[in-house]
Amino acid sequence: MFDNFFRKVLGKPDSKDVAKKRLKFALIYDKLEVSDDVLTCLHRDMVEVISRYFEIDKDAFKMDIHHSEDLSALVVNTPIIKAKRKKYPAV
Amino acid sequence: MEGKAEGKVIVITSGKGGVGKTTATASIGAALALDGNRVAVVDMDIGLRNLDVVMGLENRIVFNVVDAVKGRCKLKQAAIRDRRIKNLYLIPASQSDNKDVLSPDEMVQFGEKMRKEFDYILMDSPAGIEQGFENSVASADEALVVCMPEVSSVRDADRVIGLLYARSITPKLVVNRIIPEMVERGDMLSHEDMVEVLSIELIGLVQVDDHVIISTNTGVPLVLQKGSKAGDAFRRIAMRINGRKDIPIEVPQTEGRFWKKIGSKFGLGK
Ligand SMILES: Nc1ncnc2c1ncn2[C@@H]1O[C@H](COP(=O)(O)OP(=O)(O)OP(=O)(O)O)[C@@H](O)[C@H]1O
Ligand SMILES: [Mg+2]
Repeated sequence: MFDNFFRKVLGKPDSKDVAKKRLKFALIYDKLEVSDDVLTCLHRDMVEVISRYFEIDKDAFKMDIHHSEDLSALVVNTPIIKAKRKKYPAV
Repeated sequence: MEGKAEGKVIVITSGKGGVGKTTATASIGAALALDGNRVAVVDMDIGLRNLDVVMGLENRIVFNVVDAVKGRCKLKQAAIRDRRIKNLYLIPASQSDNKDVLSPDEMVQFGEKMRKEFDYILMDSPAGIEQGFENSVASADEALVVCMPEVSSVRDADRVIGLLYARSITPKLVVNRIIPEMVERGDMLSHEDMVEVLSIELIGLVQVDDHVIISTNTGVPLVLQKGSKAGDAFRRIAMRINGRKDIPIEVPQTEGRFWKKIGSKFGLGK
């Protein structure tokens, strides 16, 4: 009880408030992680979409997520064999 | 690292969920590091990670154990260094994978690499006895079974102890969340009862302690909290793991009992 009183006087936050703040960050952070399944689907879809416009070497198509301390980047790398010469429907 | 003895992989497991594996891993890991060992704690609860928040390292995650095991990053990159305790590292679980992304074979290889870098590698096992458990024990040299003084926890512990024996591992018992008042009243299994039922060697007794929740709230290691009985108990367990067999196992007692004892010394009370 006295403990609590002194903590309040000294302006130290309650530990449950520290917990709440940490949780808010952690829950956001957790959702930024991408699973292998998601990457596999994205890989498939990207190959499909790009193939509509370019002839690409599907086996050489590379896609990865790069992490560093303060940012994550999706890096896609694909050799293009040639552009397709068909007409695209206007958007 | 040449010429240095290889480290030990210790799995912390229980069968039943929520009995204190993660709390024990964080606390024993921190205490071993405070005693001068190079320690890695590994969160094997893939998809439901928590060791990071318990240790207050959740906002420093870049890579995780799946990345490290699959060779998508170097061990060093996945190991988050605790800035408060020297030589303490966390390898977090991934939050987005399934437990079956890893295989026991891969874990054995991972263990071999880890032993070269650390003195102690603590594997925080998920609840249950499925794939996640298999992966956690695959590379283990030793095991701690955490158990609460309660019927279903003891039964599950017995099942896990059997599975560990089948792998030629002789586990040691940590009894957690003891409520001394209830034990004294005869309403809670005593550690003697548990040791007798499970026929297993005891390594430590930890009581219910508010400091555990406060420490998890703030992310400050329990073993750094002054006056935490659970923290002290985990420190003694770490010392015993570290070869200090002379450290006695202290039995948690009610304050009342303490005063009764002192009182009886002076001829008061009964
Ligand atoms: N000695 C203790 N005193 C008070 N609370 C405790 C104690 N040990 C653990 N707890 C609390 O019990 C809960 C479960 O603990 P913990 O997460 O460590 O268990 P676990 O075995 O790792 O669970 P899971 O099976 O879900 O991984 C947590 O809320 C923790 O704070
Ligand atoms: Mg846990």
